[in-house]
Amino acid sequence: MLIKVPLSWLREYVEINVGVDELALKLHMSSTEVKGVERPWWDDRIRTARVEKLAKHPNADKLLLATVDFGAGNPKTVVTGATNLHEGAIVPYADEGATIIDGHTGERATLRGKPMRGIKSEGMVLSQKELGLGEDHEGIYILDPKLPVGALLREVLGETVLALELQPNRPDCLGIVGVAREVAALLGTSLWEPPVERLDPSAPKDLDVRIEDQRACPRFAAALLTGVRIGPSPAWMQTRLVAAGMRPIDNVVDITNYVMLELGQPLHAYDRRRLRGGALVARQARRGESLRTLDSMDRVLPEGTLVIADAERALGIAGILGGEDSEIREDTTTVALECASFEPRGIGRTATKLGLQGSSGSAAARRFSWELSPELVPIALARACRLLREHAGAKVEGVVDRYPNPRPRVNVRMRFSDVPRVMGIDIDHGETLDILRRLQFTAAADGDTLVATPPVVRTDIAIAEDIVEEVGRIAGYDRLPTRIPDGPLPLAERHRLEEFRERARDGLAGFGLQEIVSYSLVDPAWLVRLTADGSCIAPEPLRVVNPTTVSQSVARPTLRPSLLDTARRNLRNRSSVAIFEIAPIYLPRRADLPEERWTIGIVLAGNAQPVKEGETWLVGERRFDVRDLQGIVLGLAELLDVESSGDRSANVPGLHPGRSIGFGHGGRTYLVAGQLDPRVAEMWELPAETFIAEIDLAVWHESSRPPRVTAPPRFPAALRDLAVVVDEATPYGDIEREIQAAGGKDLESVSLLDLYRGQQTGAGKKSFAVRLVLRSATGTLGEPDVERLVKRVTGRLQHAVGATIRA
Amino acid sequence: MVGEDLKELADRALAEIGAAADEATLEAARVKYLGRKEGALTEATKRIAKLPPAEKPAYGAAVNAAKSRIEQALDQRARALRAKSLELDLGAEREDLTLPPRRVRVGRLHPITQTIREVSRIFGTLGFETVEGPEIEWDYYAFEALNIPAGHPAREKWQTLWISNPLGDDPSRPILGRPHTSPMQVRVMEKRKPPIRVVIPGRCYRYEATDAIRESIFFQYEGLAIDEKLNMADLKGTLYAFARQVFGSDRKIRFRVDYFPFTEPSAEIAFDCFACQGRDPECRVCGGDGWIEAAGCGMVHPDVLRRVGYDPARYQGFAFGGGIERLAMLRTGAPDIRLFYQNDLRYLEQF
Ligand SMILES: [Zn+2]
Repeated sequence: MLIKVPLSWLREYVEINVGVDELALKLHMSSTEVKGVERPWWDDRIRTARVEKLAKHPNADKLLLATVDFGAGNPKTVVTGATNLHEGAIVPYADEGATIIDGHTGERATLRGKPMRGIKSEGMVLSQKELGLGEDHEGIYILDPKLPVGALLREVLGETVLALELQPNRPDCLGIVGVAREVAALLGTSLWEPPVERLDPSAPKDLDVRIEDQRACPRFAAALLTGVRIGPSPAWMQTRLVAAGMRPIDNVVDITNYVMLELGQPLHAYDRRRLRGGALVARQARRGESLRTLDSMDRVLPEGTLVIADAERALGIAGILGGEDSEIREDTTTVALECASFEPRGIGRTATKLGLQGSSGSAAARRFSWELSPELVPIALARACRLLREHAGAKVEGVVDRYPNPRPRVNVRMRFSDVPRVMGIDIDHGETLDILRRLQFTAAADGDTLVATPPVVRTDIAIAEDIVEEVGRIAGYDRLPTRIPDGPLPLAERHRLEEFRERARDGLAGFGLQEIVSYSLVDPAWLVRLTADGSCIAPEPLRVVNPTTVSQSVARPTLRPSLLDTARRNLRNRSSVAIFEIAPIYLPRRADLPEERWTIGIVLAGNAQPVKEGETWLVGERRFDVRDLQGIVLGLAELLDVESSGDRSANVPGLHPGRSIGFGHGGRTYLVAGQLDPRVAEMWELPAETFIAEIDLAVWHESSRPPRVTAPPRFPAALRDLAVVVDEATPYGDIEREIQAAGGKDLESVSLLDLYRGQQTGAGKKSFAVRLVLRSATGTLGEPDVERLVKRVTGRLQHAVGATIRA
Repeated sequence: MVGEDLKELADRALAEIGAAADEATLEAARVKYLGRKEGALTEATKRIAKLPPAEKPAYGAAVNAAKSRIEQALDQRARALRAKSLELDLGAEREDLTLPPRRVRVGRLHPITQTIREVSRIFGTLGFETVEGPEIEWDYYAFEALNIPAGHPAREKWQTLWISNPLGDDPSRPILGRPHTSPMQVRVMEKRKPPIRVVIPGRCYRYEATDAIRESIFFQYEGLAIDEKLNMADLKGTLYAFARQVFGSDRKIRFRVDYFPFTEPSAEIAFDCFACQGRDPECRVCGGDGWIEAAGCGMVHPDVLRRVGYDPARYQGFAFGGGIERLAMLRTGAPDIRLFYQNDLRYLEQF
C-alpha cells in the first residue's frame, strides 16, 4: 500500500540526522520501499496572496474578478470561476510565467495570461490540483489566514514527501509513528510518541459496546464526546492531510483521518443522536439485512458479514464502510467514537465480496485487512480524544474498552547462531542485541540462547526466522557475502518429452519457419470460426471467470485460431508467412485440472518464393502449396525419428476435404495437416491457399524410435525405372506401399521420377515413373537376381492395383 | 638405329615438347613420337623383334629410356599448359558476388524461448535441473500452500484470473491461472526429498491491466534449492553468478530487503537501468529510480517446508522468481513487453 509521509510530520517523532536522499536509501534497502521523494517544485512566481476585492465579471455570469495583493505593491486582477472565494481569504497565487499543473491535462505547464470574456487575467489563483497537491480542482485552495501575504509558497507550504510502498507484513508502518520507529532504528536516533489524552477508565453512562463475535472482533472500544462543534480543522492539520494525500472535510472527520495517518489505526465517528439504544454491537449481519452505506449505495449484506449495529439495525460494515444514516453532520454535537480491532482475513474476504478491496476500495478495509495490533486501539482513541478536545471543543464523557481475550505477548526463543545459520554471515551477540534494542525489542541472552520480545505493534514477528531477518536487514544485505552453493548435488532427472519438444523447435526454425508465442487465452468467438458451419473442432474450453477482456476469456483448446490470427495480421504487410508455435492446449477433465496437451502448430500462406520480398532474379515466383506443408511435417518427423503409425482419416474438420489428412491413434487424432477450408480462410481474411498442421507432441514422442544405424553399403546398387499406369483414382501411396511389400530386403528405395497423364496413358489413367534402387547387403546383385526382383514387383502391382507396367 | 640415335631422337622430341605453346602442338608432338601408327619410337620398338638376340636387351633398354623421357616431358608440359590456361581463365572471369544469393529461409526462435533456454542453461551450470508444471493450477498450490490464505492482503499482489471448468466446478477447490511459478516449489518438494536444485520456467496469468512493462499473460522462472545448510549468502551468490552470465560484469547489482509470505527472510535483486544507467530521472524503463527489479527471493519459510513434510530443523534452502520478459528486455533492450505477443514478424526477425 502506498502511503505518503511528509518529512516535517515525520520529524515530529524522530530525530533525522541525515539528508533526505540518504534517509530514503536506508529505508528502501532495509525493506520500506521508497517509490519516490517528492520535493517542492513551486517557483518564485507562486506566492501567498490576499483577496482584496471580489466583483462580478461584466461579461459572464459564472465568472468573478478577484483583485489580489501578493506583496509586490501592485495588486493584480484575475478572472476565476471558483465559488469558494471570499474577500480577505489567503490563497496561492501564480503570476504569469509560473509553472503550474494544468488542471485538464495533469501535466506541468507555463502559465500564460489570456483574456477571458474580454478581460485579461493577469495571473491565477490556484486549486490544490494546480499545485500538484491533490485531485481537487473545484475550488481555490484557501490557506491558513495567519500566513503572511507575498511569501514564497514553497517556503510556507512546501513539503518534502516520501512516497512509501508498504508490504502487508508491516501494518505498524501504516502510521507515521511506525515509520519513525523504523527510522530511529536505522539511524540510531531518538524517538518521541505523540501526546495522548489521559482517559478516565470509567464507562460513560450513555454508551456501551458489546462484542457478539469475538473471533471477528477481538477488541472494541468507544468514547463518548459531548459539546462537539463541527467546523473546519486547523490549517496546519489540513496542510498535513493534503500533503499526505487526503482531502480535508471537517474537524471531526479530519481528526480521525489524522490519527489514522499518524498511528495507522482507523477510527469511525457516529452522531450519537442517530443511535437507537445505548450500545454499539459488533455482530454478524442477519439474513437479508441491508444498509445504505456512505457511498449512497443500498447494500444487502452477505450473511456472516461483521457489522457494527445499534439496538435495532446495522449502522455500518465493520472496518470497511460506515452507514449514511449515522454519519457526522454539520449540527452534530455528541459523538460516539469507535476504535476497534478486527480479524484481518475476514475483513479481506468481506471487502472482496463487496467489491471494496484494493487501492480503489475502502481505505479502512485495506488497513484492517493487515494485522493491526489490538494494542493500538486505546492509544489511537486517546490520541483522537485529545485532538477533539483541542480542536473541536469536545468533552470526553467516558470511554469503554472491551478486550475479552488479550493476545499473549510473543516471546521468540532461539539461538544467536540462527543468525549466521540462515544469513550466512557472522553477526556477533553484541551487534544482534544492539539491533534488537534499536528496533525496540526486548532481548534476554543466556549463552547461545536468545529470547526476543517485539514491540506490541509488530504483529509480524513470530518465529526465529523473523528475528533473523530483523537483524540481517538492519545490519544490511550488502554485508552478505556471495557464495556458490556447495554440498551434495541432486541427481537430475531426464525430461524426454521436453527435450523432444525443444528438438522440434530447433528443427522447425532450421527449416526456415519463425517461431511465435501467442496468448494462451483467446476470444471464444474465435472458436466458432474454424469450420464453415461454425461447429467446434475442439471440446468446450475452460472459461476465465473474471477476464480482463473478452478477447482473453477462454483457455484455448486448439492452437489454430491463434495461428490464423497471427498469419492474418502479418499478411497485411508482407506477402509470405511461414510460422510455428509449440504450446499446450487446455482440455477440461472432470474434477481435475485440465490436461495441458503440448501441440505443434504450423501455418504457411502466401509466397513460397522469393524468400525476400520482391526479389525474383534467381527464382520464379511460387506460392506455398500443400506439398510444402507435407515436406515440413515429414521432414520434422524424419528429424525427430518419428515412425508414423495409426489410422488415416481423410475428413478433417475445418480443412479442405480434398487436400487434407489426419492421423489418429486409439481414438485420439494426433496429426492433422492440409489446406484450410477456403470458406474458413475467407472468414479470417486469409488467402484461399492457407496451409495448417497441428501435431500432438506426446503421441509423436511416443512413436519416436532411436535410430538404428548400419555401416554404409559395400556393394554396388542396380537401378531400374518403371512406368506404372493405373486408374486416376489410385493414390501414389498405394503404389509405393505395394512396391515396398514386394521388394523385400533387397529393395533399398523407391523414388517417384514423374507423374504423367496424356494420350499414351489413355483416358482416366495416369502413369507414375518410378525408380527402384536395388542392393544386397551380402554381395553384388547379378542380372538374374535383379530380373527376379523386378518381376516380383511388377507382378504385385498388376495384381494388387491393376497396374500396367511399361519398362 | 642404335642407342646413340635414340638419345638424339629423344633430345629432339624434348626440345619440340618444351617449345609447344598450346595443347594442339603438344598433341602433334606426342603423335609424332609416340603415335601408335607412325610414331618414331613406335617404329623403333617394332624394330626390336628383328634384331639379333644379343643386341635385343641393350636396344630395348634404350628404347624404354627414350620413351620414358618423352612421356615424362609430355606430362610435365601438359600440366604446365593447363595451369597456364587456368590462370588465364581465372584472370578473365569475374562473377559479381555483390549480387544477391539464392536465398534460404531463415527461421528464428521467439525471444521468450531464447530467454527461457538461457535461464535453463545458466542455472544448469550451477547444478539446477529444469522442470515444468501446470499453468492451470489449484488455489491450494498457488496460495494456501505458500502461506497466503483467502483474505490475506498479499493476494493483492497476485491478482488472480479464476478459471471455470465446463465439466463442473468444485467451490471447495477453486482453480486459477497460476499468478506465479511458485506453486511448483510445493509440487517439487512434495515429490522429492532434499537435496533439491531446480529451476522452473513457465507461463503465468494475472488480472492486471497491460502496459509497456506488464502483461496479464507472461512468463516467469522459479528457482528452488534445499539441503541442510543453504543460506542467504548462497542465494546471493547464485543470483549474482546468474546475473554475471546474463549481463556481463558491467551491470550493477543490488540486493535489498523485501517481503513475500512464503520466504523469510526475503530479498529482491535489481540491476542498474540499461537504458539510462541510472542517470535519467524521467526514464521510462526504470521510472527514474535507476534500478530495475529482476527477481524476488528469500529463504523458504519454515511453514512451507513443514506443509510438505520437511523438518525445518533439518532442512533449509532458498527460492527465487523473476520475469522472463523482463530479462529478455534487459538483454536486448526491447522497448515494450506487448510486442513479444503481437508476433509481428518484422519485430521477431530481429532477435
Ligand atoms: Zn532508466
